[in-house]
Amino acid sequence: MDAGERLALQFDVEQFFYHEAALLDDREFRAWLDLVADDMHYWMPIRRTVTRDNLDQEFTKIGGMSYFDDDKDDLVMRVEKLEAGSAWSENPASRTRHFVSNVRILETYRDEIAVEAAFHLYRSRLNGKIDHWIGKRRDRLRRMEQGSQQEIQPGFQIFQRHIFLDQTIIRSTNLSNLF
Amino acid sequence: MLAGTNSQGGVIDGDRLSSLVDSKRGTIDRRIYSDPDIYKMELERIFARAWNFMCHESQIPNTGDYFINFIGEDQVIVVRDNDGAVQVLLNTCRHRGNALCRAEQGNTKSFVCSYHGWNYGLDGRLLGIPGQKNFYRDQIDPAEWGLVKAAKVDDYKGFYFATLDPGAPDLHDFLGDVGRTGMEVLLAQGEVVAVDGVQKNIIDCNWKIAVDNLFDWYHVKISHRSAAKAGFLNPRMMMPMDQMVMLGEYGHAIGGPMISEAQQAEIDQLSDEERADIDLLSDAERAKLAPRINERRPVRKKATAEAMGPVGVRASGHPNIFPNLWISTRGMQVSLRLPRGPFETEVWWFTFMPKKFTPDQRRGAMKFISHSFGPAGLLEQDDGENWSQSTQSSRGVVSGRIPHNMQMGLGQDEVLEHPLGQKRIETRVNEHAQRWTYKCWAEWLRADDWDDLMAMRSPSPTGRI
Repeated sequence: MDAGERLALQFDVEQFFYHEAALLDDREFRAWLDLVADDMHYWMPIRRTVTRDNLDQEFTKIGGMSYFDDDKDDLVMRVEKLEAGSAWSENPASRTRHFVSNVRILETYRDEIAVEAAFHLYRSRLNGKIDHWIGKRRDRLRRMEQGSQQEIQPGFQIFQRHIFLDQTIIRSTNLSNLF
Repeated sequence: MLAGTNSQGGVIDGDRLSSLVDSKRGTIDRRIYSDPDIYKMELERIFARAWNFMCHESQIPNTGDYFINFIGEDQVIVVRDNDGAVQVLLNTCRHRGNALCRAEQGNTKSFVCSYHGWNYGLDGRLLGIPGQKNFYRDQIDPAEWGLVKAAKVDDYKGFYFATLDPGAPDLHDFLGDVGRTGMEVLLAQGEVVAVDGVQKNIIDCNWKIAVDNLFDWYHVKISHRSAAKAGFLNPRMMMPMDQMVMLGEYGHAIGGPMISEAQQAEIDQLSDEERADIDLLSDAERAKLAPRINERRPVRKKATAEAMGPVGVRASGHPNIFPNLWISTRGMQVSLRLPRGPFETEVWWFTFMPKKFTPDQRRGAMKFISHSFGPAGLLEQDDGENWSQSTQSSRGVVSGRIPHNMQMGLGQDEVLEHPLGQKRIETRVNEHAQRWTYKCWAEWLRADDWDDLMAMRSPSPTGRI
């Protein structure tokens, strides 16, 4: 890839992340699901406070316990729950803002792109509850044919989202939002 | 602060405590969820006195493996020592009180204080004091300054508990029949191994609100309606009409759906292999292949069924080991509700899998578990919201004076006794276990020590209830 292509890819990926964040913050969950590939793995391991000698134990591994370990069907179920009206943790609705930064393209292979990014998810709930979740995401995106039937702009689907929080004990009543 | 507070030690007198929990009328004074003096008494008279769950043996298999847990707000290190024994040590240096261990888990050769370097062995013995000769001039005896240990440590088939009170009865007697039956729920398919990772989150609710919910089969259809609507829960499972409650001494209880005698008789005919196979079927497959053993009720292996007894084996509700250990019906998870002041609770979920599970069985079970509970669980997301609001409303001056209603089924049922001694209530959705928990809670707070508690505790109820 020459510099121009790298710049264009960086731009497309960032624009895609902003588009995705806007859908979640605007509660367009169905539209967000269109950005999720059928082979999605959406995962948030448990993070622990450990000494430097034991850093291998800092995160649980795949197959261990986690907070999220979802495929696309599970995410559809989460969206259906959000839409049910009786999801009391989200009715009254929370206000969220997804910030994405430090976007680094790690690898590209054919139509697939591995990206690491920092995120900050802010949630304001009821009148007095404020949550902040900050961490790192390792996403894998697949470039879609432009003008494909889903007409996704700027043209990616996510098939991996691994979410690494910077907090250990979750200091929130729940994790009822999508990252 | 409540009127009637005794200025000597901030203890609330017995009559006052009795009036807070009216188990005859089925009402609870909400100040038990908000009063700081009551909270302090709970730490002293319940948590520092009871046997508290620490961890499973497979979480610390090797010498030097440790796991941090809490007894009330006392932090403890659960560690496997050089002899392979499990030690429970208070995580506080004897010199200036610094926490020795600031990680949640790990492996170590010894515990060295980061403040002045006092060094303790895995069994809590003080091994080294920097400057023992030059600064202390050998006028200190390390043998006197080891870490403070839990008064007693014991395990129920690999599940470790500890108590800080030397007057406590043995774990076996503390658990009693109902507590032991509850623990056996975890062994439905034989020996288990811990899955790596304890989910932990903080909910702004009183710990008792989170405990009393575990017996509550009234809330499921309402609180968890969205999980059913999204297809996660089978609506038929949400409010099983036939319920069984077992009430044990010191406040242990099991409450929830019942396996009928006819269903259990069917199960009794099966080999352990057949039981394990049925236990893992999906609802639809189960309805087809084992129509009489319906719903997703546990099909326990023979040895477990025997240990649970003829009545206990038919209980498929949630056990609570008093004060704060919830065991899930399916027997693969336990949850601690750790008190963090009257208005906050840390909820911890531990997960265990039968050793015999194939990778496929394990994946299937993990999938259901990780989508049920924990902060992102499709069920628990909504629980936290309700518990939080139930607690916070007790802050209001007038709201705080309005008692909670806990009258469902009060005086409507009969305790039935099996010829072999196990007692149970067979009924519909009810609040017997909640009333029992709070009644026992008040007895724990009234008692001055273990002798007093053993003398005044209510026996497991009989007759009309």
